[in-house]
Amino acid sequence: MTGLRSSRSILTILLLAAFGWSLTSVDWREGVLNVQGTPALLEFLAAAVRPVLTPAFLGRAVAALWQTVAYAVAGMTVALLIGAVLGTLASGALAHRRVARFGEVVGARATLGLLRAIHELVWAWLFIAALGLSPITGVLALGVAYGGILGLIFAQHLADAPTAPLRALQAAGARPWQAFLYGRLPLVLPDLVSYALYRFECALRAAAVFSFVGLGGLGAELQLSLRELNYGEVWTLLFLLIALIVAVDWWSGEVRRRMTT
Amino acid sequence: MSLAAAVILVVLSWLWVIGEDRARGVVLISAQSAEHVGQFIEDLLGIGSPSPPAYLRPDRWAAMAGLAAETLGMSVLAAGLAGAGALALGVFAARTVAFGPLRPSRSPLWPMAFFVTRGAFIVSRALPELLWALLLLFLFTPGTLPGALALGLHNLGVVGKLGAEVVEDLNLRPIQALQRSGARPGQLLAYGIVPSMLPQLLTYLLYRWEVIIRSTIVVGFVGAGGLGQEFRLRMSFFHYTDVTLILLVYLLLVFGVDLVSAGLRRLAR
Amino acid sequence: MIEAVRLEEVCRRYPNGAGLHPVSLSIGVGETVAIVGPSGAGKSTLLSLIAGVFPPDTGRVFLHGRLLADLAPGRELARLVGIVHQQFDLVPQLSVHSNVLAGRLGEWGLARSLLSLVVPQDAALAKRALERVGLLDRWNERTSRLSGGEQQRVALARLLVQNPRIILADEPVASLDPARAEDLLALLTGIAAGEGKTLIASLHSVALARRFFNRIVALRAGLVQFDRPAAEVADDDLAEIYALEDHVR
Repeated sequence: MTGLRSSRSILTILLLAAFGWSLTSVDWREGVLNVQGTPALLEFLAAAVRPVLTPAFLGRAVAALWQTVAYAVAGMTVALLIGAVLGTLASGALAHRRVARFGEVVGARATLGLLRAIHELVWAWLFIAALGLSPITGVLALGVAYGGILGLIFAQHLADAPTAPLRALQAAGARPWQAFLYGRLPLVLPDLVSYALYRFECALRAAAVFSFVGLGGLGAELQLSLRELNYGEVWTLLFLLIALIVAVDWWSGEVRRRMTT
Repeated sequence: MSLAAAVILVVLSWLWVIGEDRARGVVLISAQSAEHVGQFIEDLLGIGSPSPPAYLRPDRWAAMAGLAAETLGMSVLAAGLAGAGALALGVFAARTVAFGPLRPSRSPLWPMAFFVTRGAFIVSRALPELLWALLLLFLFTPGTLPGALALGLHNLGVVGKLGAEVVEDLNLRPIQALQRSGARPGQLLAYGIVPSMLPQLLTYLLYRWEVIIRSTIVVGFVGAGGLGQEFRLRMSFFHYTDVTLILLVYLLLVFGVDLVSAGLRRLAR
Repeated sequence: MIEAVRLEEVCRRYPNGAGLHPVSLSIGVGETVAIVGPSGAGKSTLLSLIAGVFPPDTGRVFLHGRLLADLAPGRELARLVGIVHQQFDLVPQLSVHSNVLAGRLGEWGLARSLLSLVVPQDAALAKRALERVGLLDRWNERTSRLSGGEQQRVALARLLVQNPRIILADEPVASLDPARAEDLLALLTGIAAGEGKTLIASLHSVALARRFFNRIVALRAGLVQFDRPAAEVADDDLAEIYALEDHVR
């Protein structure tokens, strides 16, 4: 009875200790503040009220924004493909024989786990080293990393689908793949779409920083403007990115609302 | 409508990606690219190299321990900062506090605080970790701290929004009962709101920690230290067997954090 | 008689016609009063008005001779009047002792309140209250782990710690089984008698009201149907107040 209470105290102590320890990983002696940076920072903040809005720069910025969107969209299609195939296998919903099912589930889960464990930018760098610098490599990297995440989530939802409608279908003579198409998939589809839309928002953010491995898009323009100390341009790009994310967030909210009502 | 828009977006995006790929002369999948991938994997494994690969040398593994600890520390610091920030600000971003039954006074400061915190959450969430890191390097010397702050800032928006939603969904009756037995706003926070939201917030934060540890390597790319910085160094010197070693350590960290987080979440319940 | 509660022509109407229209009532210090009547008769509205949860539309409420509207909400009100509900309204994630000591928040500053979450303040007071309700052994338990009857008694212990001069109980036994309901009412009336408190409770069961209280006020459709010592309440009176409910059904 008191076990529960003490387990929470243990958790509190563990978390506080972990946080305390994490402070030691900062090298405090060398000084953490970049004193020369302060005037530049003030200048940067002051530029927030006057973003650069010249037609020439806005054209460049929107082109960069479009590149980022294209990366994210193309990457998500790869991710959905990987996620749908491996996720279905990992859910074990299609296999009928127990042995085959075990192999499928474990194999697919391990693959998904590995794809997901590595961050998309790390994948991107590895792909670029192997294949060369092209949008395709960025798209593949995004697709592989997010395919892993989507696959695991899809598998979980498919496996947790309510069983009563499925049993009714099987009783009516449906084979496993038929039960899957007519039962499991429609039951969980709204959740899957909703999660995929959330992931699309994340993909946009990820694509925005692909410039750190040498690819184009919003991040490339941003780094360029920052290097030229043109802070007004930096703000324009930041505002565009925020507006894009807010718009997508709103859109996915609308889709979710329409699917559930 | 939404479906049609999505299809058009997909077609246009792929047209652009393929066109750009052609223009650069990389050309998607060819016999040549298969050869390149094979060569890269051989490099990663160190096949055909005279010296033993780094991932088989105990001294290299030992050298990784410090970097792994630094990376882990950065992720914990980031999660802690995001959690503390969300706990402190999430309450103000709740509609029930700003406009509804939990509003402590008629002062217009409460709705103002609502819009400010919500806006801050949106901005902090919309910018990815790496952009935060880039901006923070104005203010801080490169190292673990700006890295952790960048990760923490991005996650503050994510966790803070959830914290506000938890407050909005709270059962109001116990809080009103506290009010009636004489509790003032600060005490309501300490005795009613925080204890009620803490378990959910903690569980979610532990989930986020799993996400944060994956991203920690990435902020290292811009000089935040840890495994990420080492990864960048080794990649640029083509020390590919060291890259393999770093990836192995990274995977160990990621899977280790997944396990620990699942265990701690069980304690939180 | 010293007056603990006085209602003067108090009105409170709801759009559906329920509420109180109008009610006058005087309750002396140390009395134990049961408010009975069918659902929708205005019992909860009456108690909420006395507790200051909301003001009356018209009319005045006095507690110990002071106009309720003039009392500062929070501490001043909490010293005069406290209320327990049928849903207990405790914070489930807090320990039992923190929930009990929440009754002291009106007296404490913020620093002391925060400290008390870790090191219980005024612990002797809380222990005495928990002992009184028979739950001292659950001192350090998480409140959500307690049964409904136990949580009701923790709510009572909080009220003991708050130590108001008037105790209100809104359907305190509605969610308890009969044996536990009797235990709780015995506890409640015992506390009122032992410490000279005024007790006003709304009840659905007239049998319990007659056994445990010295005065019964019957409400019907927002009006006082009768108001007399429990010993003088006849079975016919009761048939009359519940007749309407049967009629409505």
